[in-house]
Amino acid sequence: MRFPSRLFAAQAWFAAMAWLVLAGVIAVIVLAVVLAAGPPRQSVWEQASQVPRWFTLFVGVFMVREYLPLYIAHGQTRRRFTGHLALTVLAYAPYAAALVTLGFLLEALVYAAAGWPQALDRAHLYSSPTQVHLVFAEYLVEILAWTSVGCLLGAAFYRWGAGGILMIPPAAAMILLAEGSVGAPANLPMLASRLRVDLAVYPALALGVALLTFLVATGLTWTLIRDMPLRNRLA
Amino acid sequence: MRTDVEDLVLRYGEATALDRMTFSLAENKIYGLLGRNGSGKTSLLSVLAGFRRETSGRVRVDGRPVFENGALTREISLIRDAGETIDIGTVGDVFYFAEWLRPRWDGAFARELLDLFGLKPKMNVKTMSKGQRSALGVVVGLAGRAPLTMFDEAYLGMDAPSRYAFYDALLADYAEHPRTIILSTHLIEEIGALFEDVLIIDRGRLVVHEDRDTLLSRGTSVTGPAAQVEAFTAGMNVLGTKELGPTRSAAVYGELDEARRRKAAEAGLELGPISLQDLFVHLTGGTSR
Repeated sequence: MRFPSRLFAAQAWFAAMAWLVLAGVIAVIVLAVVLAAGPPRQSVWEQASQVPRWFTLFVGVFMVREYLPLYIAHGQTRRRFTGHLALTVLAYAPYAAALVTLGFLLEALVYAAAGWPQALDRAHLYSSPTQVHLVFAEYLVEILAWTSVGCLLGAAFYRWGAGGILMIPPAAAMILLAEGSVGAPANLPMLASRLRVDLAVYPALALGVALLTFLVATGLTWTLIRDMPLRNRLA
Repeated sequence: MRTDVEDLVLRYGEATALDRMTFSLAENKIYGLLGRNGSGKTSLLSVLAGFRRETSGRVRVDGRPVFENGALTREISLIRDAGETIDIGTVGDVFYFAEWLRPRWDGAFARELLDLFGLKPKMNVKTMSKGQRSALGVVVGLAGRAPLTMFDEAYLGMDAPSRYAFYDALLADYAEHPRTIILSTHLIEEIGALFEDVLIIDRGRLVVHEDRDTLLSRGTSVTGPAAQVEAFTAGMNVLGTKELGPTRSAAVYGELDEARRRKAAEAGLELGPISLQDLFVHLTGGTSR
């Protein structure tokens, strides 16, 4: 199976645009904080790093919702689409993780130039935002899990309509597991804001959990897609 | 591409959309698929394109099953009003994916068609009018040059000049690149002249499958004094009648031989053709359903 270059390129471009918007918003927030309350005492990018999680969940939903009908209407099989989807997610996760890591590095440059402390608010795989490989690993784990789960939810809601809500508990469980492996609370809506699974935090374990989440979510996505009819008109 | 459908059944839960439908379509012809709302047209085309799996029966295109058969489905195109092939970013994005996924995509032809319909590559599909979206679907369907190309009411949103431009472009491209084309439509009078064969379905069943001229030749209007018309049409398959004062017009279905025609002339009755649309209305239960 050839690499789905155009499917990946479309998501990569979308992510780059979103990153630019996020970076711009954060720059404005930092400036506002400086003007209103003086120098920031911790990393703002860390606080904003939950945005990529939800963004990549949306990307997963979007890819199934928009591209599955496109593929089938252009004569491609559901099997081929699922393969392309999996390859795209596998390529997209490190790409998006690199963008998040780049944000930390740019913030580190600005904070260092201004003499501000880039302190962290919570536990991570990394203890300093300049530990590039660990920062990258943490967001790779998160983004791989959230994007895969997004695909699963996209498939469930496309297939079952409102019944897709049934897939939310297993999806949330997978997210909690992945977040627990990097020491982070999931901050899932309608759940206790600090709900978490406490796992020993090791990069290798976290990457293993992310890979497992990817495999389980992709497998479940395939079971939903494999004979899924295209709707005549989406509600 | 030759298409063979045998005992095709499609159910949505308890509802039966296609009920033991059987027919064969020869390759490289233009077919009209006619049916009333809810008759099963979209369901039938969806099965032919592999958009959904049949409940039972056999669907073969070039002798091969369709569903999840990538070698086959990439040669099949179904353009629907739902807009699966166009609901993605800009017109340029639509082409970006079409040329990647469609093996016979003709980019130059697609750009020609864009100009024909007044569309621009940078237009955002989500903000396009219904007519522009329909036109873009038509562009994707024609430029894909799939050997089995189907349009399911995909051009209904277009204004009359755009629809005529579509018919001209379709005929010109069909002459240059013959392929099997199925047009599902309610615009029977407008597009009927394009059909070589006609399939009429009603309540999930095939009512008629004939070449257009033969089908038209089976329909005759018999007009004259009511009593003579009634006597002449006794025992014939009368699809419907209209009366205006003492004059009655009866639509009959079935061939009229020379003897019958002579008899009509002797009785002072006028015989005339029935339009495809009138035949369709009569064959699918008239106007009263």
